[in-house]
Amino acid sequence: MRILVLNWRDLSHPAAGGAEVYTEQVLRRWAAAGHEVTLFAAAVAGRPAAELRDGYRVVRAGNRFTVYREARRWYERCGRGRFDIVVDETNTVPFLAHEWVDDARTVALVHQTCEEIWHHNAPPLVAHLGRLALEPRWLHRLASAPVLAVSESTRDALARFGARDVTVVPEGYEPPATLPDSAKEKVPTAVFCGRMVSYKRPYDVMRAHQLARREIPYLRLWMIGGGPLLDKLRAEAPAGVDFVGRVSERVKHDMMARAHVHLATSVREGWGLVVTEAAALGTPTIAYDVPGLRDSTFAAGGVVVPPSPEAMAHWITELLPGWQTRSFEPVPYGGAHSWDDVATTLFDAVSQRAA
Amino acid sequence: MRISFVVPTRNNARTLAACLGSIKAQTHPDVELLVIDNGSADGTPELAERFADKVEQFGPERSAQRNRGAYLSTGDVVVFIDSDMVLEPHVATEIERQFAAAPGTGALVIPERSFGEGFLARCRQLEKMLYVGDPAVESPRAFRRAVLDELGGWDEQLTAAEDWDLADRTREITTIGRVGAWIWHDEGRIQLRATFAKKRYYGRWIDQYVRMHADSSGDKFARTALLRHPGRLLRHPVLTAGLVTLKATEAAGLVLGIRDSRAAARS
Repeated sequence: MRILVLNWRDLSHPAAGGAEVYTEQVLRRWAAAGHEVTLFAAAVAGRPAAELRDGYRVVRAGNRFTVYREARRWYERCGRGRFDIVVDETNTVPFLAHEWVDDARTVALVHQTCEEIWHHNAPPLVAHLGRLALEPRWLHRLASAPVLAVSESTRDALARFGARDVTVVPEGYEPPATLPDSAKEKVPTAVFCGRMVSYKRPYDVMRAHQLARREIPYLRLWMIGGGPLLDKLRAEAPAGVDFVGRVSERVKHDMMARAHVHLATSVREGWGLVVTEAAALGTPTIAYDVPGLRDSTFAAGGVVVPPSPEAMAHWITELLPGWQTRSFEPVPYGGAHSWDDVATTLFDAVSQRAA
Repeated sequence: MRISFVVPTRNNARTLAACLGSIKAQTHPDVELLVIDNGSADGTPELAERFADKVEQFGPERSAQRNRGAYLSTGDVVVFIDSDMVLEPHVATEIERQFAAAPGTGALVIPERSFGEGFLARCRQLEKMLYVGDPAVESPRAFRRAVLDELGGWDEQLTAAEDWDLADRTREITTIGRVGAWIWHDEGRIQLRATFAKKRYYGRWIDQYVRMHADSSGDKFARTALLRHPGRLLRHPVLTAGLVTLKATEAAGLVLGIRDSRAAARS
């Protein structure tokens, strides 16, 4: 099968995230299975406009705003007649391939909707415009196409915007080849892992930690991850909170495995892969009950709490003493699926649902 | 001591996962969870299947669903939880501890605090905090099975105020205690228009309740707890203003609902 995937970034983009890992893992498997796969993404400084990677072709043009127009142009010029299926991978802005691809079947793949995150990532007026006008309009136009969503939360969100034909496809995770064999810490330890940006709500974690310390005096909190807020947070760090910044995967896995509880407080996620990661390392999660985190936390056997620092502190103080004395087996694939599974299921879903 | 949790549902998928998940995550070792659904069309039964020990369809409304759940449950204690509530992990353990410590206590109140999105939800949070410990407002949720059997369960004639009715009848036959763990009540995003419509609907049933309990119902509507701690209101003047608006909207809805009920009775 000849497949074209449209995504705003590819894995070599400096700001590539979970969606790009997902794309890369799936596409290389599709290519290995004998399909002819092309990925169209925005240009990256220092990277060629076209290259072959892991058996599939990457074509790059445009920037984060113009990539959508460039994709359409490229398709008119070079893509017409060369593909059987076009996958429109949507990160807030859809390519709307179903409106301009007329010689191949199309399907959309949505990781997450943006909604509340607009207020964290854009200046106030732009955020209101985006949340109340742009995103509903985009998703309404996308709603007439068949859509694949990576979590039930995303499916429900899309349904609110009018999508009727939504299929949930699995999220994937590959545990590290060798699990760190480090024992749990002696001191009660909580860990937060994520970029220090406002929509991950690192302040809420610190507040919950401060409240929980009234009951568990030696409770320690490790904050893993870089990001624009890091210096500010580090300057304000109260007793018991350590910021380690951005660290290597090995160090990150080691710290996550040594902690007793992992805390997640995002505003919204597509799936909340960090929860999956913690579970695969044998660390249970207490997460805010928000779309995305809810899905991965239940899949990983963790606990969700009302989205407030007071609630999180209550749950920490009640659960942590018990969790310190019992050991958690690593959850297979952290409650997600192996990438081989995901690639197969996604291929079936794409070829069945595309219209 | 086995603790059975009964959750009646009807199109509650938004809040249900957190509710049922919190019951399954109780630290108590012997917990049973029953979900009695009433014809949901939003995936509620499928969601419930993932968590509950038993999911059944029953109707026509909340009191009947709860009675059905109590009948099917096997625990020594039956706890009635709503689908928009999230339980702290120690609730079941606390229930057992309280019942074991006071054999004369037949039912327990579990204190509630609310949470939600937006300004009005914060006003509601303030309101709920003022009610904590007020017997005129708080109703017991956890019952010893023998007490529940003696009471004959929930009054299936009532759809609103059925919790007060049960509380009144419980108070007549046994002592009501309270536990030290909290229920977090999800108010979602409170909208004045929807609040008004809901209160108007409840108003019809409240009228019926008032006629049944002519002697003791007055103190429930006065909500004197709101004014008993003026200091706590004065400390949050903006929230208090919002709360006044909210309560005025609710009162208007109730009055209209009661008028509807009387008009219907006359014609």
